[in-house]
Amino acid sequence: MIIQHQEQTLHLHPLRGIYWEEQDILFVADLHLGKATHFRLAGISVPSDIMDDNFSNLNTIIETYHPSRVLFLGDLFHSSINSTWDIFSMFVANYPDITFELVQGNHDIIDTQLFDPLNIPIYTEPLVIGPYIFSHYPLLDTPENLYNFHGHIHPGIQLIGKGKQYIKLPCFHFGTQCCVLPAFGKFTGLAKVVAQKTDAVYVIAEGQVIEVKI
Amino acid sequence: MTRSEQLHIATQWFSDQGWEPFKFQTDTWKRYWQGKSGIVNAATGSGKTYSLIIPILIEFLSEHRGKDRLPIQNGLQAIWITPIKALAKEIQSSAQRAANDLGIEWDIGIRTGDTSSSDRAKQKKNPPELLITTPESLHLMIAQRHHEDIFKNIKVLVADEWHELVGSKRGVQVELALSRLKAIRPQLKIWGISATLGNMEEAASILFGHYDQQPDWKIIKSSIKKKIKIQTILPDEIDKLPWAGHLGLHLMDKVVDVIISSKTTLLFTNTRNQCERWYQTILEYYPDFAGIMAMHHSAMDRSQREWVEQSLHEGKLQLVVCTSSLDLGVDFRPVETVIQVGSPKGVARFLQRAGRSGHRPGAESVIYFVPTHSLELLESAALRRAIQRNNIESRKPYIRSFDVLAQYLVTLSLSDGFMPDQIFSEVRKTFAFSSISDEEWNWVLAFIHSGGAALDAYDEYNRVGIVNGRYHIQNKSAATRHRMSIGTIVGDTTMEVKYLKGGRIGQVEERFISALSPGDVFMFTGKALEIVKVRNMEVRVRASKKKTTRTPSWGGGRMQFSSQLSEELRHQISLIYSGDYKSIELKMLAPLITLQQSRSHIPSENEFLVEYFKDREGYHLIMYPYEGRFVNEGLSTLIAYRISQQMSISFSIAMNDYGFELLSDKEIDVDRIITHSIFTTDGLMDDISRSANEVEMARRKFRDIASIAGLVFKGFPGAEKRTKHLQSSSQLFFDMFSEYEPNNLLILQAYEEVMYFQLEEDRMRSTLERIQNQNIIITRPNKATPFAFPIMVDRMRETVTSESLQDRIQKMRIKLIE
Repeated sequence: MIIQHQEQTLHLHPLRGIYWEEQDILFVADLHLGKATHFRLAGISVPSDIMDDNFSNLNTIIETYHPSRVLFLGDLFHSSINSTWDIFSMFVANYPDITFELVQGNHDIIDTQLFDPLNIPIYTEPLVIGPYIFSHYPLLDTPENLYNFHGHIHPGIQLIGKGKQYIKLPCFHFGTQCCVLPAFGKFTGLAKVVAQKTDAVYVIAEGQVIEVKI
Repeated sequence: MTRSEQLHIATQWFSDQGWEPFKFQTDTWKRYWQGKSGIVNAATGSGKTYSLIIPILIEFLSEHRGKDRLPIQNGLQAIWITPIKALAKEIQSSAQRAANDLGIEWDIGIRTGDTSSSDRAKQKKNPPELLITTPESLHLMIAQRHHEDIFKNIKVLVADEWHELVGSKRGVQVELALSRLKAIRPQLKIWGISATLGNMEEAASILFGHYDQQPDWKIIKSSIKKKIKIQTILPDEIDKLPWAGHLGLHLMDKVVDVIISSKTTLLFTNTRNQCERWYQTILEYYPDFAGIMAMHHSAMDRSQREWVEQSLHEGKLQLVVCTSSLDLGVDFRPVETVIQVGSPKGVARFLQRAGRSGHRPGAESVIYFVPTHSLELLESAALRRAIQRNNIESRKPYIRSFDVLAQYLVTLSLSDGFMPDQIFSEVRKTFAFSSISDEEWNWVLAFIHSGGAALDAYDEYNRVGIVNGRYHIQNKSAATRHRMSIGTIVGDTTMEVKYLKGGRIGQVEERFISALSPGDVFMFTGKALEIVKVRNMEVRVRASKKKTTRTPSWGGGRMQFSSQLSEELRHQISLIYSGDYKSIELKMLAPLITLQQSRSHIPSENEFLVEYFKDREGYHLIMYPYEGRFVNEGLSTLIAYRISQQMSISFSIAMNDYGFELLSDKEIDVDRIITHSIFTTDGLMDDISRSANEVEMARRKFRDIASIAGLVFKGFPGAEKRTKHLQSSSQLFFDMFSEYEPNNLLILQAYEEVMYFQLEEDRMRSTLERIQNQNIIITRPNKATPFAFPIMVDRMRETVTSESLQDRIQKMRIKLIE
């Protein structure tokens, strides 16, 4: 789904990323790479195919837009380093024309020096590009004239129908000052969020992005 | 020593106490001394403990007869399993008293989750002769290195309160532990003590497993019967009772009258939230109760509960408002009166609670029943008839619980490791796993060794390793997590509530706290508490003077009508139909019945009532199978699914123990669609599987499974960050396995548990068969009837739909912040 936002063109992709056409930037949040391996290392059974799906989804979304920059809005890696890191390194090396960048999140505890050989810059502070400011956590005070894109929440919005039906779906949630992205990674779960009348909410269902009535 | 000498010593000891042994006691002694196994079928407070303690002690005397003095430090001779930690002390003192009198210098020890690690170490070095323990702690003993040495001389295992254990996964734990003990010590005697169950024979055969070619066990029944009287607390007029509701507070004044006229009263509520609310309200209207009233439920901190139990013993309390947390356990002699608020849902539970009063032999137990809404008056009459007819529930055993098996195998891998072939042959002798196939066994082995999948070169799965064919745990932190998780069956994530200074108050669910912020006040354990800060699964609070009614609720533990009670309830409705209003409760209900009759209909025994009407919420289709809420839930989904096969429609479903409602925004041609064919048993299993709710139900069942199988780790205070990164929800695991490994046995187990324990497929089938032989009566009331009302206000809603997700989303809206 393509939307106009602050005079910018944004593509909301059902694999849970946003492509910003004017700047040729793809941004995604909360990949939690290596989470399955982290669990398996601790003796907790998690299907290892999850890891493959994370990379193939990232691959699909990159091939769709061919961005020049890919921006990770925090929680790129789930925990300390493990074998998934090597796969990630190889993945990044496949795209020499793309700059991958990381805005640090609370789960990103891997030594920042390890990102140097991959040419991935790390931002410990929110990153400003044009009218937007990118962060992992929602910003408490968004600077004036800037709009905040962030992750961290893993938002799931509850929809209510007639006859007391309800359903919870991952979503892009645009508020007046900030937008929270759905978690990109598999094996991440949903946290219930609520909306206000002035918000715009786009849910992801059956491989499509759908705007819901407020 | 001859049998008569043994009997003489036992009888002599009894007469020294001023007692005379009952026949079931002497029968048990004799059978025990023959080296045989059995079950003592006797109620609490009937001398069941001495039916086994005595022969165990005298067996030891016989063995060492003629010696100058009895040997000391004999190693473990007997294990006594109790499901309730609180009972351990009472059993210990009973046993100690008899041992002292008989001149036996046994060490009689207790090992439960509360036993300190230094005491555990002492027990390991010098095992007590008689050990009183829980199923979990017994497994922890099996997790010790060289556990075979500890058990090598053991004579008997006694499973006390077997009726409680048999319908739970802790029962499976006992079965598995027994399979190990029987392998170490084939001549081990197995004894159970159980209250009456509908399936007594089956319950016994579960305990005895398949260890012997020719099973030789016997049920020894106590003939002591307790008289029970049910007294319904009635409103002055039926109008005083609401049509729906579950709190029952409108009858509080009458309840307090009963409490005041009695020395000590236990007031049983069905949920912890209800318990808190009753406590608060009594205190508000009757402040004189301050100091002589207490509360007891499982979310309260242990030390507080123990204080309440102690005060009960000492007769210091006039009233304890409690939940099922006081169903079991030691007898509180001062208790004179028992009050049950709302439906007890089952005959056995009601009897158990009634038995908490009237301890003198031959005394009548009186239980007061407080209906929380008008139709519950019917239940009072139904319960009375059930007790008269001795119509007691069965306990369905857990079988093929692969979560418990996986946990047990990891436990064994902690000790000296295990050889799979040997353990497989042991496990197959249990009742629970007698049907396990080679494939299933191999799957469980693979699950603990490789995480279920085939290990490839890059895989780093790390839990249980194999060295020379022996399964050993490799991962130290996994071992620690495992030890901590045995016995902690966590449901929803709970948070510890503590005072700022550190005093523990109890646990509340995370979802309750997440809706509050610092400064907010809530009621818990009868106190107003202000949240100061929330951190790391801990809520720090301070006492507040503010007034609030905000009280936590806890999920889980929802119970349904047993089939016995359902049957009795249908009988009461048929009595109404035939105008037989003999009982006081039915007389009281008469005005309501007249209203039901004028708005709709009262079904006779061969009629099935369906009501259909429209209001601003939509179209309500209501049916009354009277089969318990989970069975009604299953039936409602099935009917919703079958209707949705004929037209594109979404339903929201509500149900209670009496019936269910299908609510939709589209009209249905009920005369055409609601016929006998929609209640057919043809294709039942397939239709259940296709209806969406089965997934939701399985997802809920998976909570326990995931935690028992060691998938979900709750973390602990002070855990390092990398450990916190291991926290996850069972829901997420459920979704993940469903997507990537649909044949995962734990997922299949969740579905089996849904079919067997929740939907009770056999009960659904027999209900549908019953409806096939009934006339379907469809009425069109112009508004909700007295029968429909309690169902419609039910807040736990389910959905069934045949519309596409996108169509549904187009019709839905987001709930906004108000």
